[in-house]
Parts: sequence; structure tokens; C-alpha cells
Amino acid sequence: MTLPDRTVLDNGAILVSQAVPANPFISFRGSVPAGMTAEGPDEIGVAEFTARLLLSGSRRASASKVAERLEGIGATLEFSNAEEALAFQGRCTRETAAETVRVLAECLAEPAFPPREIERVRGEILNDLRLESDDTRHRAMRALSRLAFPKGHPYGRDPKGDEARVRTIRRADIVAFHGAHVGPYGMIVAVTGDVDRGLVEESIARPLSRLRSDGSEDAVPIRPPPAHTPRSEWIRMPHKTQADVVVGAPSVARSDPDYYALRLANLLFGRIGMSGRVGWNLREEQGLAYYAFSSLDARTAGGLWTVSAGVNPANLEKAIRGIRGEMDRMRSDPFSSEEVRRGRDNQIGSLVVSLERNAEVAGELHRMEYYGLGMDFLERFPDIVRDVSEDRVREVARKAFDPRACSMVVAGPVGKARVSL
Amino acid sequence: METLANGLKVILRPIGQTKALSTWVTYRIGSRNEVPGMTGSTHWVEHMLFKGGGKLRKGDIDRMVSELGGRHNAFTHSDFTTYFTTLPATALDTALLIEAERMRNAAFDPKEVEAERTVVISEREGAENQPEFLVEEELWGLAFHVHPYHWTPIGYKQDLANLARDPLYAHYLRHYAPNNAVLVMVGGFDVAVAMQRVREHLAPLKPEAPPEPLRLAEPEQRGERRSDLNRPGAADLLAAAWHVPPFAHEDTPALIVLTAVLGGWRGFTSFGGGGWHPRANRLYRALVDTKLATDVGARHDMRIDPSLLVVNATLAPNASLDRVEAVLDAEVEKLRKAAPTKAEMDRAKVQVRSWTRYEQDGVTDQALLLSVMEALASWDAADATLGKVEKVRPEAVRDVARRYLVDDHRSVVRFHHAEAPP
Repeated sequence: MTLPDRTVLDNGAILVSQAVPANPFISFRGSVPAGMTAEGPDEIGVAEFTARLLLSGSRRASASKVAERLEGIGATLEFSNAEEALAFQGRCTRETAAETVRVLAECLAEPAFPPREIERVRGEILNDLRLESDDTRHRAMRALSRLAFPKGHPYGRDPKGDEARVRTIRRADIVAFHGAHVGPYGMIVAVTGDVDRGLVEESIARPLSRLRSDGSEDAVPIRPPPAHTPRSEWIRMPHKTQADVVVGAPSVARSDPDYYALRLANLLFGRIGMSGRVGWNLREEQGLAYYAFSSLDARTAGGLWTVSAGVNPANLEKAIRGIRGEMDRMRSDPFSSEEVRRGRDNQIGSLVVSLERNAEVAGELHRMEYYGLGMDFLERFPDIVRDVSEDRVREVARKAFDPRACSMVVAGPVGKARVSL
Repeated sequence: METLANGLKVILRPIGQTKALSTWVTYRIGSRNEVPGMTGSTHWVEHMLFKGGGKLRKGDIDRMVSELGGRHNAFTHSDFTTYFTTLPATALDTALLIEAERMRNAAFDPKEVEAERTVVISEREGAENQPEFLVEEELWGLAFHVHPYHWTPIGYKQDLANLARDPLYAHYLRHYAPNNAVLVMVGGFDVAVAMQRVREHLAPLKPEAPPEPLRLAEPEQRGERRSDLNRPGAADLLAAAWHVPPFAHEDTPALIVLTAVLGGWRGFTSFGGGGWHPRANRLYRALVDTKLATDVGARHDMRIDPSLLVVNATLAPNASLDRVEAVLDAEVEKLRKAAPTKAEMDRAKVQVRSWTRYEQDGVTDQALLLSVMEALASWDAADATLGKVEKVRPEAVRDVARRYLVDDHRSVVRFHHAEAPP
């Protein structure tokens, strides 16, 4: 395996690249530390506006012109607001890489934030809030995040803020936030696909190196999540057909020594094959749900572990009992040696399969740089997985998948039903 | 490409620089081959083909794929059903064993069929939670009165509640045979070795009598059809659709350019778009830039039989369905009146050209594109269509707009959102 190239540009931006010769185009993924965690107490919701407005025109070109420049060469570019970063990603070809990165740099460095576009985005965010409020899965997951990360922690907040807040955000707030947080400092750009060193230097590094910082170069520290008190919440949506159940609790940070053991435990609990033990129980054995799975989302200052299922309201009690039963099994019937072996084989084998697409490679390269895993991470990964002991996997699963430590949210046509976990 | 003696068509694309392999088996059976009372049966059969049979017990497919770090899945389309497994290239035999057993030996254990009933109903109920699904189902039901495109692959809930095991199994035996399938493999393999393995695993399977060709054709629509859905929801939705010819028709390239000019282009298969929304198009400018809608899109739903060109819009809170529909009418009228500008033509063509590359992101996506194209027309149809798109003249776009975007051939669904009950 060839190690990825890593370059620190003069302005501080970090560029990571790896060729994937089988794929005939280029994917890129990047970030700037200008997500929700960079928002001050009076800036809630501003990161969302900023991300959505970066394609809305620069000092040199209107929103229409930016769209025409990109789509006129067949390139794609998207910006989004995540908890810890302003993220961006896109696609282009060898021939269009230089122009695509020039547009990217212009959007990042010189956004115009036209008042008309701000009002359009305000309407778009308000409509998204309304649409999400009518989505059982979204409502359940949003509420669970809020319970797991209370007191307005960025991991628990809706990135858009609430309706009242969205209505009050002004252009000056957006301009100030952008000026303070968006620049080459802390920027990571990962590029894969039809690339070579010459193309990366000429068409990608050169336009990016022209970015200049005029904001703070002190990273905003991410405050530790407050303590979680397990709770239940039932959200009545009587006009819906199916109910969504989410059970979960705060979990480890990406840098935690137990991260790899927990990742393996989560794979066995709710991901491998037909969604692990929980999927086998709810879908294959009981036929209760089309989907039932678990997720582990580990970030810089903490993580979130969840189990999700979508079920007919008549089956809610059985489904919740099924989830509870699988969590209890972590004590009564822990993962066998055979299960752990299968999980390890899956994680090691998936290095080939899960990195065959450009977008997947770009995402992984970006993660490697963001979490400081080193450019040799993928080479070391099989040993990391093999070094996780079976006992440690069982131990972290017992602790992390403990129903007494979890909150639960149910959203849908729940009527008066109330079942505890 | 080779066709085995039992009728199985095999398409191999070796790629020297990859260590992965993607195997796709596509059956020429979709919801278009279903009959009333058995809607959803093709999709239900798809679910059953992960549950073992022959040399494989329940759970074996999952176990074999997951131990290798692979991924696998399937989906049922109106025109075909396709199964894929992506594995390290060294595991070619595993992929072929799974597909050989799946093709003729699926178990259909009555207990498993019954357990899966609630799973497919749950899948449908999850979709019903989304107003967009209700609009889509209503739209195809409105536009097609005779042809089975009238229903969607998930089927109707009452059919899913009543379907019995034996008809499902008969549906499987009738359509899952080598002479009704195509195998596509893309990845790091040697063609001669791979072909030998394909013969070993799949050549012994017996063909079935070829399925009867579908004889139902949708009569010409005489007059616009409209439907209003009044349901709790968060936003008003508009869907409008016009009848267009099948994918293999000579007007398809011009309709692709028309779609790109109207609403942008996101590829032949609609799987690679992700969250990207095109903006340099007429509908975005007329509806989103003007704050009448927060989202709008156009898609040419390419199928074996005559299909639909569909426009969807999510309305902004203060916009009216009448107003949005009037703006859409005006945009359609412009397409009928005048050819697109040179800049629009150039932009549409470069988008189709670029997306034809973006849809080849790795072995899985390359095999997907070949499989879908083969199911609809021919495995090389994406490149062939792209070549024709390059030659489309602006006047041809105007001409297909006049030919197909006809008011009397249009179906419109309006979703009027009501406040959700407390």
C-alpha cells in the first residue's frame, strides 16, 4: 500500500492526497474549524447560515455565476455545517481540477453574503426545521442527542438552532463568524482518484496556498459534554404509520484508548451482517422491523452510541424488549470468541472493500488527518484490530451498552403507550 | 462478454489496479411483471433470497460476506431485480457460490416467508411516513391506468398482508433462471480464470422456459389527470409528470439534455447524486431563487417501457401551489417555444459527460452502471447514449419538448399539508 502524500502549505492548510487509478475522476473532502463548536453563546445557528451561504456568491461572482462556473465544467461542490467543522466536498476531473479548486478557494475566502441570499437561506432553514419536525426518525434522533448532550452542548443541539433564533440572525453575525473562523488555519483538504503529484501541486495546492488568514489562529476548544441523566421521551405523531425508537448514551471520544474495542463491540452488537445481534433479533427472528441497527459516532470531545429501529406501533413493546434483551445479553451471554473473530476479520477485510470508492478514500484520509492518526494508519490498522483483546471487547460492551445508562426516545403514532427500556 | 449454454449472459470488466471485486446478478423481473393482487411479490422474493437454501443455511450469506469485510445488498426496480456482493478479489468463488445457490435453490421456508411479511410491511410503513412517497405512489397510479408501472415495487399493503408462500415461490422459480439473468463482474481478476470459475459455478444450472413477454401497453392519455392529497405534513409538495418513450428510444438523448436544462443532471442511475443539488438550471432559478420553493428537481425516469419525466417541488411556507404550478407551466412553455441557448446546451452536455465518469466510482458503481444499462437496453448503453447526447442540437430539445411535454399527457399531484393533530 502506498502511503498518502501529506503537505503543509505555507498558509497552514494541510493537503492529503492519494491516487486511486481505477477511478476516472477526482473526489475531495475538506474541513475548516468553523462548525457548531466554534459558535459562541450568542452565535447559535450562525455556522449553519455561513455554510449554506458559501455558494451564494463571492466578491467576484454572483450566486448564479458561481453555479454556472461549477456546473459549466461538470464539477460539484457542497458545503455543510457539522458539529466540529465547516465541511466541504466535491467532484471534478483532472482537466477541471484547477478551476474547481479556484472556485472552492474563492467561496471560502471571499463570500459576499448578499442580503437577498441570506433571506433565501433563512426561508430554506425554516422550511427544513418544519420538514424535520414531521420526520419520525429525525425527531427521535434529535431528541436523543439533546438528552445525551444536555445544556446546549454542540453535540446535542440542532445545528440550525430553533425557529426564533433563525429569524433573528443578521448579516453582521455571519460576516463576523466567517471572518473569525474561516481561513487556511486548521484547514484540511483530502484529495483522491485520478491524481498524481504534479496535478496536486499545480491544480490543488497552488490555488489553496493563496488563501490568507485574517481571523483568529487559536482553535476554539470543544468543551467536555455535561453529565448525562438517562431519560425517556415519547413524541406523539398520530398521523404517522410507523414509530421510530432510538436508545443511546454518550460514549467514548475518538482518541479514547477503548475506542477500537468499542468499535468492534458495536459492530457485533448492531452492524455486522444483517445488523449484528440486534438486527438478527428484531428483523430475522421476530420480523418486527425493516431496520434495526446500532451506531457509534466518536468525535473529539466525546461520542454517541445509539440503537435505532423503525416498527409498527403495535410492535413497540416487543421491539423495546428485544433491544433491552440484547443489551442484557452483554452480561448473560457476552460475545463469543467466534463472534469476536468474525468481527476482527470483517474489520481487516473491509480495508479493501470499504475504500474502493473515491469518496470513501477521501473521507478516510480526512479522518486520518483530523484525528491525528498518521498517514500510516491504514497500514497499522490490522495490528490495531488484532491487538484488541476479546476480554476488553466484552468489558467495554457491558459498560457501554448498559440499559440503565441509556436514554430512549420514541417518535410516531405512539398513542398512550409507554414502555420503559 | 459471453452467453453460457444455459442462457446466462456474462459481462466481465477486469481492472488491474484494484484489489476488490463486485459481482452483480440482475434478473429481468421487476414490479412491471406483477399482476394485481400480487403487487410487491418481486420485492418480497428479493428479501427471501438472503435466507439460504441449497448449500447455504439461513445466515450463511451474511456470515460469508461479513467475514471477508465485504458488502452486499439487492434492490427491486420496476424493470429488474439485482443482487450485488463486493469482496476482496481473492474471494471470487464465494461470490459465485452465493449467486449460484440464490439463482435456483432458495429455501422459501414457510416460517421464514411469514416472518418476512411483517418486515416488508414495515419497509412500506417506513416509506408511508414520508409524504414524498405518498406523492410518488399517487403520481404513477395516476399516470398509468393499464401498465403495471401503475404500482411501485414495494406493492400495496393489502397485497402484502394476503400473499401466500406458494405463489411467491412459484414467482421465484419462474423468473430466477440463468436464461433470465445477467452476471456482471468488475474488479481485480484475470478474465480467463474468472470465466472458468463462472462456468464451474453457474453453467450446470438449468434454464427455464422463457417468461412471457409483457403485452400490456399504456394507451395514450387523453386529458390531464390531477389528484389532490390533503394530509398532515410540513410543507406543500407538487409533482408533475409527462409520458416519455422508453430508454432505448431515439429521443432519449434529447430528453436527457432537456432534463439537464430544466433541472440539472445527476447521472443515469440516480444513486451517485448524494446531497448535491444543481443550481444552474431553469427550475432552480424560477422557483428556488425566487423563494417559491426550497427544493426542486427534474428526472427522466428511464425504463424499459414508456415512462415519465417528473418534476418535484417542495414549496416555501408562503408560496401557493397555484403559483408554483403557473411558474412551472411558463418554464415548460419556454422549452416548447424556443431552443435552449448555447451556454445551456454546453452546460447540459458537460454535466452528462462528467457524471458518466462520477458514476464509475469504484468496482461496485461500475458494475451497477453496467447492470442497470444491460437491464434497460445494453451494458454499453451509457457510453453510447453519451455519444448521442454530445450530438443533440438545441432544436432537437425544443422538438422533444413539443412532442412530450404536452398538457393533455400530464399528471399532477398536489400535496396540501395540514397541521398535524396534537
